[in-house]
Amino acid sequence: MIEKPIKDYDKEVKNCSCSYCGNNCDDITYLLKNDEIVGVRHACRIGASKIINDQDQRLLSPMIRNDEGILEETTWDVALDKTARLLHNSTRPVLYGWGETSVEAIKKGIKIAEITGSVIDNQSTICHGTSIQAFQNVGHPVMTLGEVKNRADVIVYVGTNPMDDHPRHLSRYTTFPEGFFRRNGRQDRTIITLDPKYTNTAKVSDKWIQFNMDEDYLLFNALRMLLKGEELEEKEVAGVSTQQLEELIKIMKNAEYGALFFGLGVSQTLAKQKNVDVLIQLIEDLNRYSKWSMLPMRGFFNVSGFNIALTSETGYPYGVDFSRGYPRFMVGETTTIDLLNRREPDFFMAVSADPGVQFPGYTIKHLVNIPTIQVDTHWGPYTELSDIVLPSTRVGVETEGTAYRMDSIPLFMKKVIDKPKNCHSDEWILTELYKRIEQLKQEDE
Amino acid sequence: MKAINLVMTRKNSIAIEFDNILPELLFDKSLTQIQDSIIYMGNKQLPLSEFFEVEIEGDCQNSEDCLINIEGDLSRVKRIGFAMNSGKIIANSNVDFHVGALMTGGHITVNGDAESYAGREMTGGTLEIKGNVKEFCGSSYAGEWRGMSGGQIIIHGNVGKQLADFMLDGKIHIRGNCDILAGVHMSGGFIQIDGNVTQWIGGQMKKGIIVLNGKIDSMLPGFVFQEIVHNPLINGQYFIGKYRLYSGDRGVNGKGQIWIKE
Repeated sequence: MIEKPIKDYDKEVKNCSCSYCGNNCDDITYLLKNDEIVGVRHACRIGASKIINDQDQRLLSPMIRNDEGILEETTWDVALDKTARLLHNSTRPVLYGWGETSVEAIKKGIKIAEITGSVIDNQSTICHGTSIQAFQNVGHPVMTLGEVKNRADVIVYVGTNPMDDHPRHLSRYTTFPEGFFRRNGRQDRTIITLDPKYTNTAKVSDKWIQFNMDEDYLLFNALRMLLKGEELEEKEVAGVSTQQLEELIKIMKNAEYGALFFGLGVSQTLAKQKNVDVLIQLIEDLNRYSKWSMLPMRGFFNVSGFNIALTSETGYPYGVDFSRGYPRFMVGETTTIDLLNRREPDFFMAVSADPGVQFPGYTIKHLVNIPTIQVDTHWGPYTELSDIVLPSTRVGVETEGTAYRMDSIPLFMKKVIDKPKNCHSDEWILTELYKRIEQLKQEDE
Repeated sequence: MKAINLVMTRKNSIAIEFDNILPELLFDKSLTQIQDSIIYMGNKQLPLSEFFEVEIEGDCQNSEDCLINIEGDLSRVKRIGFAMNSGKIIANSNVDFHVGALMTGGHITVNGDAESYAGREMTGGTLEIKGNVKEFCGSSYAGEWRGMSGGQIIIHGNVGKQLADFMLDGKIHIRGNCDILAGVHMSGGFIQIDGNVTQWIGGQMKKGIIVLNGKIDSMLPGFVFQEIVHNPLINGQYFIGKYRLYSGDRGVNGKGQIWIKE
């Protein structure tokens, strides 16, 4: 069924930023009627759905779970006081999430983590954390999406499926747009997808190279050999024929400007950060022949912003442990999933994230036994686990704030409509929490 | 010889950190001072006596003659022998993260298994683990490109992935099997593996020597077969049998050696 265009609106707000994925599309137009969003233009199907259904399952008042296990509405003062006391008295608190809030709120969160000796971590721990480790180990040839749009003639997607996960990535930045040096858009570009699966991105690509799952490390090593002009003894590497690999290297070497994007199909398969590590070195090697850069396909709209803000404050990108008063970072030791699997945390606060959806079952089981706090906009599986719920507002819709796009470009996200009456921004909630914890600390002294 | 005997009396799900319990810090301390040594649990600082019974036998004039003997379930005790420079520690149990990490001297024996990060970035001393070890043994810390640069690690059991990541120098002897990516980014040092290796040994290796007495499914494409040598003399030691010598990793113009027993 084809839906008719929305005509029943009284106001248009242009140049807004979408708060869904790492594309951070900043050309969104909201259609308002009586100060409520009734339609959206330019957003992809996922972004539009998220914006239009914003009021569905919305958390509208602070709640505390009573002795019978039912969430009961309460006042902000009661909910914040209780949260502050629980956090202040805990020994191994974890503050998780942050991928869908503003950098301004993240900075408040880092301050809270520091004064309470908490671990602060975000969704990188289950997605591109391994990529960031590789960037810190061997460097990272960076680019902006604007450069890709205007210059790139060869685009390679590895282990990622933006057609489904970042729907406007191809249309806005990489494949279809006309660029300054790519006047004919799609016709001027060669799109190659390397993926074990025949994804929707593979379907729109000029070339799909299928390789064996978990053999990324082997594949990238072989490509490096071929790039150096070495001959491979094997007829097939990682399920790909040597001839196919030679053709791929030829295209990559002859590119005028090449851009490689990789996803969790690289960063979370067997060799994890070493996959990214060797991929970075392949791209570095390619720069002897042509101009090549690479980017991870970041998921949430500000997951990159958290890494940038935390690295700026502490030197570490995620999973930072302040328990000794100074920042420490150890993969597998101070990262959320590992801490929960070891049953260490005695307090867990999720800010704009739903661990109930994102975490493995064994990990979630521990959350049932400890105080859990939710700071979020919508009812979700984690609400069912939470002892205290603090309803917040959506950045880029009800609250303004800064977010970093997947290529680390900061974007200002403007406010479009007023927030629900009894909700507050993450920044406000965290500021109030910080004040209360400071007061408790002073009382202790 | 002074022996400090610690017996664990209380175990918590939150790990405790033991970096203040070192021979060089405790050899000249009285019983009360040792009992009051600070250990860390989450964001709290607690005296050692909260978790351990302490007993002292004998006396010594320097830390080299000091032995710390730890009993009980130490599977939630992190940083045993962390940055240790002399003396001896014996842990009679499984141990948690970072055992012997950053150590510069002395001897640590673990009569059990060890969690990840054992002997990371160590520069001297000996770390001997009688059981299995998890990941990143003898490697570098995240973001660092210099791993183990001296000393010796002996593992009697199996080892997890990324053994000796970015290793610069020193010796590692694994008597069991080894998971993926052993010796990745290695640029010096010597590794002997008596068991089997899963795959991808020596990726991006620049220098150094790996001897594999067990089996490996396949080599990375960056390694070139050189020759077969009978009873080769490797790193000052004769290895009995027929060994295939590979060199690489060509991807980084590496001149590392991997010897694999036929």
